[in-house]
Amino acid sequence: MSDSNEEKIVKSYCRSCHGGCGVLVSVRDGRIVRIEGDPESPASRGSMCSKGLAAMQLVYHPDRVTYPLKRAGSRGEGKWQRISWDEALDTITGKLKQVKMEFGAESIVLGYGTGRNYESFLYRFSNLLGTPNVLTAGHMCYGSRIAATAITCGKLPVCDFDKNPACIIVWGNNILWTNPDEQVGVRLSRALSNGAKLIVVDPRLTFVAGKADIWLQLRPGTDAALALGMANVIITEQLYDKTFVRDYVYGWDKFVERAQEYPPEKVEEITWVPAEMIRKSARLYAQSKPACIQWGVAIEQTINCIDSNRILTDLMAITGNLDVPGGNVFYTPPKVRTISEFALHRNLPPEQAEKRLGGSTYKLANRIAVLTPKEVWDAIFTDKPYPVKAMLLHGTNPLITRAHSKEVYRALSQVDFLAVTDFFLTPTAELADIVLPAATWLEFDDIGDYMFRHGYIFARKKVVQIGECWSDHKIFSELGKRLGQENYWRDDPEGDLDYILEPSGLTWQQFAEIGFLQGEMEYRKHEKRGFSSPTRKVELYSTILEEWGYDPLPRYREIPESPISKPEMIEQYPYILITGARIPVFFHTEYRMIPWLREIHPDPIVEIHPDLGKEHGIKDGDWVFIESPRGKVKQRARLTTGINPGVIAAQHGWWFPEIKDPGHGWDMSNINILTDNDPAGYDPAMGATNLRVLLCKIYPVGEGLQ
Amino acid sequence: MTGEYALIVKTADCIGCSACEVACKQEHGLPVGPRWIKVSADDPREIDGRLQLRYTVAHCLHCTSPGCLSVCPVDAITKRADGIVLVDATLCNGCLSCIDGCPIGVMQFDEDKRLAEKCDLCLARHDQGLNPACVNACPTGCIYYGYTSEIFTKAGTPELLSKYKNIDS
Repeated sequence: MSDSNEEKIVKSYCRSCHGGCGVLVSVRDGRIVRIEGDPESPASRGSMCSKGLAAMQLVYHPDRVTYPLKRAGSRGEGKWQRISWDEALDTITGKLKQVKMEFGAESIVLGYGTGRNYESFLYRFSNLLGTPNVLTAGHMCYGSRIAATAITCGKLPVCDFDKNPACIIVWGNNILWTNPDEQVGVRLSRALSNGAKLIVVDPRLTFVAGKADIWLQLRPGTDAALALGMANVIITEQLYDKTFVRDYVYGWDKFVERAQEYPPEKVEEITWVPAEMIRKSARLYAQSKPACIQWGVAIEQTINCIDSNRILTDLMAITGNLDVPGGNVFYTPPKVRTISEFALHRNLPPEQAEKRLGGSTYKLANRIAVLTPKEVWDAIFTDKPYPVKAMLLHGTNPLITRAHSKEVYRALSQVDFLAVTDFFLTPTAELADIVLPAATWLEFDDIGDYMFRHGYIFARKKVVQIGECWSDHKIFSELGKRLGQENYWRDDPEGDLDYILEPSGLTWQQFAEIGFLQGEMEYRKHEKRGFSSPTRKVELYSTILEEWGYDPLPRYREIPESPISKPEMIEQYPYILITGARIPVFFHTEYRMIPWLREIHPDPIVEIHPDLGKEHGIKDGDWVFIESPRGKVKQRARLTTGINPGVIAAQHGWWFPEIKDPGHGWDMSNINILTDNDPAGYDPAMGATNLRVLLCKIYPVGEGLQ
Repeated sequence: MTGEYALIVKTADCIGCSACEVACKQEHGLPVGPRWIKVSADDPREIDGRLQLRYTVAHCLHCTSPGCLSVCPVDAITKRADGIVLVDATLCNGCLSCIDGCPIGVMQFDEDKRLAEKCDLCLARHDQGLNPACVNACPTGCIYYGYTSEIFTKAGTPELLSKYKNIDS
């Protein structure tokens, strides 16, 4: 008899958010019985968050989609019929072939959300298919950071928390609750307990803001102005690293001129941050060696997306904190195939790449092969510049996450053919023609490569099989093989993992035994090779943006819907609404159906100041309507002095899996019902949509409507 | 070595992530309802001259003289020599007296089973010499477990020991 009654422990890596945490998965009789942190994991060292710890309830959730489905009623009616994988794949590939022949491959749009580590597989499939249109969050989330830093200094500089920074700026980020793409939150805790000084930039009081030596509670959306004000102080007070500036920056004089337009007193007017605090922060950051800046997605989801990213990178450069121990560094990845190499971007024919929706308008987005969603919605509505006829969405819930949800609903309802791959029948999946069942991170073998910018890759292992669920990797491989891509995919996904690992000299099986690989870190690489920009220097003045016709220097643009830019709106919509504050037990739209997590956070919460509550007769815990010109939703009020009385902070990502009609309450509390999708509010180079800062009003939900 | 065990939270280091809550649920296979450890956000307040955010972590303190024990009409609640306070599910009659008897309101009630229950300091793990599940899961290490004579000092709050000892009053 085998030892099936004994508990077996599998070492793996979590992917309940962006990952990074080592886990020990206990299995008994083929079933997961416990998930806990792995003390031997190099980055997380045993720590786990609620989302990863609850993953057992994700894997075994009774509402999981566990076999392929096809629509059995009208679109969005919620009637489904079980079909075989063969029928599902044949239906999808049949439709794709037909669309490609009649309209061209560009009329097919692929899409993903956060991306569960299958981005390179998805792009490999789409590039070989010949479509340049991949709809991601990259126009306003992380991709934009990658793009902005690529043209400034070659790569994304990441906080080197483990090398004892003397000062840390946490800028618009709640890293302790959710690991961002390139970082593990507990590293910040460790750096702080080692005595680092802390500056926090956030319109809301968070735990770290409360702990900070200096908390800069700025007017939402004015981050770029604040950073330019700090640059102004650093230049005026001669606090910059003169040797680094002499040898490694491009465009210093013009940058100085631009920064001179942002003296602290003027920046105080823009940002609400007292000039003296701007000076103090600039001095603390510039005079602490080394120092690093940890920044979050909040600064990317406005019209200032790229310039916010650039000016923060510029601050790192002029203070001599780039690629030095304890500063913002470029970790060296292990020797494996890169994501872009596996993605086969070079195989997309140039004439197809030229057709990328919005590519000639949002040139920086185009450069990293992403697009802004409205371009897709408009092509569906108008057939301009060409029709979009089929969409394949993987692990994404755009109905909840993209700007102006009502427009998204119309587009997804109207597109000829929609296939969605996910764990559950989300409000987006409910609009599909075909739904494919996706495997969670405990159900397939994988190379955890999201941490490339940390210099690690992690072996994430298959522990169980649930129903007929497949990894997204396998889905792309099998779709590809039916579409003439058979020479590009191995027999099974393990073969593809072997291929990615090939330069390391390891097979997947060997890598899985080792558990992780770490690249050999080398600091100050610029002293040998310069920076990977056209001038080989940190481009404070961007030669690439200049060539494309954008402002080569960073600047602050007023938020398009603010009390300053739209004073005529204030009478009706008197408050600044910010969205997207992190919730520790959820990840964007995920996990509302996980009992242990939902119990901790049952309702959508909107934070308002007690003075504002008093003015509108809103008590703590009351349901309230929040309304913008686009629509209204309800959330529950939490009164807190941790926010400015003129600012309201609503949560994002809300839908209600427990509501059984196929809409699952997608428009009840979803804050993107309120956000705008007017291109006038986009970042001009990136097409970043403004999800974060707009105007609203707030009032109690009447009796009987609760 | 003898002494009484307990578990305390240094709230100055608690980030409010609720990892402890889920670790506890998983360890004890708890349904929605009973929360043996529960994190909730306080109103922001001035600490050290600046506005700060703190969380309250509610859990059984395994009191010196447990209020729950003294009100239980069927002697289902006992305090062991090592300090651990336990509810015996086979004796509990679901009368709810201990819910009110607990001076800090942390006794839980499973509505389906109609039984009182609470933190047992992960007895099964304790017997194997392991930390409670919540202690291991906490990303900032703000949950302290061990002898009451030591953990307050470890947590940097020795002054709270005497307060703890009088909590039943």
